Amino acid sequence: MLLKTKNLMKAFGGLKAIDKVDFELPAGEIRGIIGPNGSGKSTFFNLVSGVYDPDPGSYIEFDGHDITDEPPHKIGALGLSRTFQLLRLYQDMSVINNVMSGYHTRVKYKFFDAVIGRKKIWDQEKEIKDEMMELLSFVGLADYAELNASELSGGQRRLLVLARAIAMKPKLLMLDEPAAGLSPVNVDNLMKIIMQLKDKYGLTLIIIEHILKVVMDTCNTVTVLDHGQKIAEGTPSQVKDDNAVIEAYLGKKMNDEEMRKALAV
Amino acid sequence: MKKLKIIFSTLVFTAGLALSSIAQANDIKIGVSFRMLSDVGYKHGELITDTVAMWNKEGGINGRKIDLILYNDECKSEKGVANATKLAYQDKVHVIIGSSCSSVTLPMVPVITKAKVPQIIPHSTSSKITMQGSEYIFRVPVSSRFYKLVQGKFTAEQQGKKIAYIYVPDQASMVFAKEMIQFMKDEYGVEPTYAVQAGEKETDFRSYLMKAKATNPDVIVLSGLVDETVRMLVQSYEVGIPKSVHRVANSVASKVEVPTNAGKAAVGVVYSAAFAASDTRPIAKKFVKKIKSTYGVTPGHDFSQMQDLLDMLKPALTKASAKFSGDLAADRLAVRDAIAGITNFTGLASGPISFCANGSPECRDGNKTPVMIKYSRGGKNWKTAVAGTVTFNPSDGL
Amino acid sequence: MEKFKKIISQYPFLGFIIAYLILLCVPTIFFTDLYQSHLSSLIFVNIIVAAGLNIVKGYCGQVTVGHVGLYAVGSYTAGCMFMYLGSDLWMTLPAAIIVTGLFGIAFGIPSFRLEGPYLALATLGGGEAIRLFIENGEFFGSTYGISSISQPVIFGVPFDTPDKYYYISMPVMLIAVYFSYSILKSSIGRAFMSVREDPISAAASGIDIKKYKILAFILSAMFAGAAGAVYAHLPPGYIHPNNYTVIEMVTFLAMVVFGGLGHIWGGIIGAIIITIVYDLTRPLYEYQLFIFGLTIVLTILFMPKGIGGFIDKIFIDKRFKKKKVEEGK
Repeated sequence: MLLKTKNLMKAFGGLKAIDKVDFELPAGEIRGIIGPNGSGKSTFFNLVSGVYDPDPGSYIEFDGHDITDEPPHKIGALGLSRTFQLLRLYQDMSVINNVMSGYHTRVKYKFFDAVIGRKKIWDQEKEIKDEMMELLSFVGLADYAELNASELSGGQRRLLVLARAIAMKPKLLMLDEPAAGLSPVNVDNLMKIIMQLKDKYGLTLIIIEHILKVVMDTCNTVTVLDHGQKIAEGTPSQVKDDNAVIEAYLGKKMNDEEMRKALAV
Repeated sequence: MKKLKIIFSTLVFTAGLALSSIAQANDIKIGVSFRMLSDVGYKHGELITDTVAMWNKEGGINGRKIDLILYNDECKSEKGVANATKLAYQDKVHVIIGSSCSSVTLPMVPVITKAKVPQIIPHSTSSKITMQGSEYIFRVPVSSRFYKLVQGKFTAEQQGKKIAYIYVPDQASMVFAKEMIQFMKDEYGVEPTYAVQAGEKETDFRSYLMKAKATNPDVIVLSGLVDETVRMLVQSYEVGIPKSVHRVANSVASKVEVPTNAGKAAVGVVYSAAFAASDTRPIAKKFVKKIKSTYGVTPGHDFSQMQDLLDMLKPALTKASAKFSGDLAADRLAVRDAIAGITNFTGLASGPISFCANGSPECRDGNKTPVMIKYSRGGKNWKTAVAGTVTFNPSDGL
Repeated sequence: MEKFKKIISQYPFLGFIIAYLILLCVPTIFFTDLYQSHLSSLIFVNIIVAAGLNIVKGYCGQVTVGHVGLYAVGSYTAGCMFMYLGSDLWMTLPAAIIVTGLFGIAFGIPSFRLEGPYLALATLGGGEAIRLFIENGEFFGSTYGISSISQPVIFGVPFDTPDKYYYISMPVMLIAVYFSYSILKSSIGRAFMSVREDPISAAASGIDIKKYKILAFILSAMFAGAAGAVYAHLPPGYIHPNNYTVIEMVTFLAMVVFGGLGHIWGGIIGAIIITIVYDLTRPLYEYQLFIFGLTIVLTILFMPKGIGGFIDKIFIDKRFKKKKVEEGK
């Protein structure tokens, strides 16, 4: 198992944002996490990536390491990369610098080499830059490399965030609503690029997405959260027919026709 | 990118060069650097500007126009040193006037000595300045070594030897208190009953004053800047230190704000200065009237020292510029020698001012006559009385 | 030209050697009097401080208003070593860098918990505390200052006049700028920027926020320490607590802001321009503070990234447009 959580809990005051979630993810899989607003999807990401500290009794394991109490940068260094719902781009940095800062954990040279500015630093920097430019051209942002990230359009920003998360060559990539706010055409494009990247870098993916179509089309398995609890897990078609899931989304049972309408958004 | 930067900086540099080279060869150039931040600082600057303008109106000195270059050093040594260097090498002045703060004048001395430019000090009193032995420095005010002597002697012999000290962390205030403590130790073998340095910008001195009161002193020395001196005086009555305890302040007490703001609390305060506005000599009365009508303030000793400085500089420049050869180094030497030749200049100062040729403090601390002054009335219509003057030997207090 | 650019980008050290050779000739070609040498040394000192300040403020985004205190620590380490041990610049410079670096840790620790104006207040307190401590400490010469700090002697030649000291301050400045260049151009510089832009997402990229914050403070403190030592030995070698007040801090900040926050040459451009303009406006002392206040306000309003950012933008826009035109064809 690449990622494993056992008894994962997080309460904000009295509210149980995540309640005893057991989660297992084998390498190579594309996992979707769905659930209504406030069901704890983003909290789950924040717990795994170390932004929040889980409550006592929880256990998170990534790639054989216990990461329950590790700070975010150590988790990142282990090869767990993520994007954010609110993007969190480095607005005031150039596009290429955005991506290159994602490369941070893979930089090989030592601190003192950098201070003294030895030749090998500049050679490596050039290599890094070339590699990152390649990544940028893959996502179609190479022409914008020296512009400030704040000058990009919404769709370009989403691509940039994706490129930055991949720059570290992660084992696991967690995408928090990668397609939010995009037009259907752009969503398809984005998903195509994500799939290409997955094949190119051999990624394991977890995707949170509101657009159910995306999840149903691309994911191998789907985990459904509601009120912080895992209510269902299985292949998209299994989940689609799960009564608990339907109830969580729509609040009542529906006949086949109604449901198809709801899911075909 | 890099190219642009280089072009830009060279442009700025050349602009600087061009600006500095505009000057007439025939003029006498006077450079000034002192603290022109406060109200009074500006007025000292105005006094110089007005006086030099008057000289120029009268036809200049030996037909030469006087060029005045005025810089502010904000009482910061970094700026003072830069000003001195700029005046000496770039503006090529014949003589420098400055500065107000001892901590600024002190590092200016090695600069002007190396550049061989005479400098004449209007305000700084620290004895360390002339002790560097520079042949190019002249001091108009009374050196702190004489202040210490006169204050110490007067206090010990007329007021009492049980003394409490409260001083603030400003250089002049600290030097005044510490030198006096040292003097009382050396001369009379008495330790202070209480001595404390207040914190910077402190405004409530009552706890210190209470402690001082508890030691039952004959005299209490309150050494601070204007504002602090006023507060300490007023608060000393608030904590109930009786009138019979003599209050002594440093030369700051000569500033008008002290009696005006302290009111009754200023009565009886004794301080030493180089000039008293209550001076009854006609020359002093005329001067006080002039400053009052032109600048709207009653002059303390720093105004009088500036006036004295200008009054003695004019004949010296007249003498020197008669022999000006056009060679800057030689002309500066001529100015230096002319200033060194001033003997027994009688101006507003309490005693005659004399310099001499070598660079020893005996020669260069021109004024050796501090005067002891006592406030006889406080408030707006304050009055002072001269408690006594002493003329010291040139080597006293070294 | 293109070839030359390529070589420089691979061996930035060469660029600095060229700069050194140029600066070596500047005094003999351009300078007409000693004051220009003195002013140049002051510019170099300011460049070192501003380059350091640019690391912590411009790159790492930590608002520090106590940097002038660190500059004072550097000066007084040098001053005290001279006064009590008789050391010269070769001893005091490394010592000042180390001691100030240690102080930098103390200044950096509050940044773990505080941000923006709160951090500014904490560092302001730290800087002022250092100055007051010096001013009240007999050991540090209190308000007398420390005077006649010696200038270095090389092969029996004392570098005790402004024109000679130029050749001491200039290489120190170049080395400092070189260090700042290679630090900021490497992954360390990028990490600083990510911490400034978004700490949470930086951490997700595997960047240790605390480590880089404290590193920025230490590095910039070391620059301030070096500048302090060079200033302390600057002829006539006099330091006084009055030279390390909040006003000086504002001047340093003005340099970095005007030159361009977070621009690699920002602090340097700012230090050169502000020092020279300040000098040219010396006779207008009544309006000087007004002019400077106005400059800062106008810069922030109309050129928030300072001159450096402004120039960068012109170049990038130009290149971008050129590319678009080519594509259009």
